[in-house]
Amino acid sequence: MKIRIAVLVTFLCGTSMLFAQGKYTTKTGEIVFEASVPSFEEVKAKNDNVSAVLVSETGDFAALALMKGFRFKVALMEEHFNENYMESSTYPKATFKGKIKDFSFSELSGSEKEYKIAGVLNVHGEDKSIDVPAMISLVNNNIIVKLHFVLKPEEFKISIPKVVSSKIAEEINVTSIFTLTTTK
Amino acid sequence: MNKKRLLLLVAFFIIIGGYLIYNYMYQDHRNIETEVSQVEITGPYLLERFKNDDASDILNSTITVTGVVTLIEEGAVTIDGSVYCSMDNTSGLKISDAIKIKGRCIGYDDLFEIVKLDQCSLIK
Repeated sequence: MKIRIAVLVTFLCGTSMLFAQGKYTTKTGEIVFEASVPSFEEVKAKNDNVSAVLVSETGDFAALALMKGFRFKVALMEEHFNENYMESSTYPKATFKGKIKDFSFSELSGSEKEYKIAGVLNVHGEDKSIDVPAMISLVNNNIIVKLHFVLKPEEFKISIPKVVSSKIAEEINVTSIFTLTTTK
Repeated sequence: MNKKRLLLLVAFFIIIGGYLIYNYMYQDHRNIETEVSQVEITGPYLLERFKNDDASDILNSTITVTGVVTLIEEGAVTIDGSVYCSMDNTSGLKISDAIKIKGRCIGYDDLFEIVKLDQCSLIK
């Protein structure tokens, strides 16, 4: 009986510790990428349904974007992006899992502070370790994470045919904003 | 006279060809609101199908989801805690309303264990 109670107590403590961790989440994070080449059609897409979770005690950060959620101005470009380049039926999502280095919730303030996030980005089924700078601030009890980084399609085994390669930049600029709130 | 006719003919084809190419390049986006729904499904069952990896035919298609509103956020409603529907207008909706929503299924979000739909419109 004593053992049972002990087990129960440890279990309860364990779960309450889990709940005590401050989880900040969003389902409406924004990712914009641009691979435009001057004087050609703008190659730019936006996804404003990106999910992200940040654990305030540890600085663990995870994000997930559904590839079909990227919207282009030109419908045909969106179709090519999904069918030819990202193959979004086979690889429906892009994920990131990492940790914010030297993160401390109590040090956050209304003014942006630069941190580094190290982790693994998975796009098109390919993993890549990245180390990206992030501007993080705390506004109205929301943690705001702003990211900017550059990717290359070949890093994720995305081949761009010669015919269009002059119209798509070799380096793709990615900007992202997450406004993370505490879950009630 | 013959030359003129040929020139006219060539110009005609160039114009038609240009028009067709332009239309192909700048075709309109899908209008989910007017598209015919491929399937009608309940929220929890849709989630179940994605969890069992049995939803490749649903991805990117226009579907109708039925269920009860469990969460209303800015620009989105959640049905039965299992389907997240992003839509421009959520006014008039309340928690625990029984609703029917049409939208484009964009995939399964395993961070929140939720299926996501975009460009949703309320049917009932």
